[in-house]
Amino acid sequence: MATTRTGLLYGTGALRAAARGERMMWALHRAALMNGIVPVVPAMAVAEGFRTEARGDRLAHLLEGSEVAPLDLHAARHAGELAAKIASTDLLAAALADIAVQRNCAVVASRQNALTAAARLLGHRLVLYAV
Amino acid sequence: MTDMVTKRSVSLSDEVARAVEAAAAEDGVSFSAWLTTAAERQLRIRQGLRGVAAWEAEAGDLTAEEIAAGEALLARLLSGVSGVASRVGVSGVASRVRRR
Repeated sequence: MATTRTGLLYGTGALRAAARGERMMWALHRAALMNGIVPVVPAMAVAEGFRTEARGDRLAHLLEGSEVAPLDLHAARHAGELAAKIASTDLLAAALADIAVQRNCAVVASRQNALTAAARLLGHRLVLYAV
Repeated sequence: MTDMVTKRSVSLSDEVARAVEAAAAEDGVSFSAWLTTAAERQLRIRQGLRGVAAWEAEAGDLTAEEIAAGEALLARLLSGVSGVASRVGVSGVASRVRRR
């Protein structure tokens, strides 16, 4: 099975790293854009980022070059069902795993256990940059 | 972006037009829709790089070494190699790579 990925998916950890000015995160983001990749961010991660991070201006700069994946009925149902199957309350991890599969993305996130479990349940080998 | 539609006459080389037609057919969308998506992506990238520049204006420009480290990390992730962020900074070891 091919393990290459074609996109990047940011979780709250990625947003936190950017908000806190972690230079590797910004270097990675720049590299993605320079290579024609627009990173994807679930709407739930955006909400969580603005809830927890004081530097909303930095988040806004990061999101200017990102695609926000909406939490529509279909996505919400998938995330909820997937979280139930892995017996987790971590809906964002479930949403990340779901999008990672659909969009063939490597994930930049801090969540690991629920994310890994959700990806495994979907038969997907998670490629994760843990921040 | 918007539901309003503006008609423009654009010129494409035959080769590009054929490639767009093929890609649009493969994606199941119209020629116009495919070009719109491609344009939106380019605009998003352009805006994103402005966002990076805005951050750099505050935090200092990424160095050539940091840019290279970001490129290398991206290449590793796209090739399917996971990693863990390090807090030692890009000038040291930027990230640890975990092969699976």
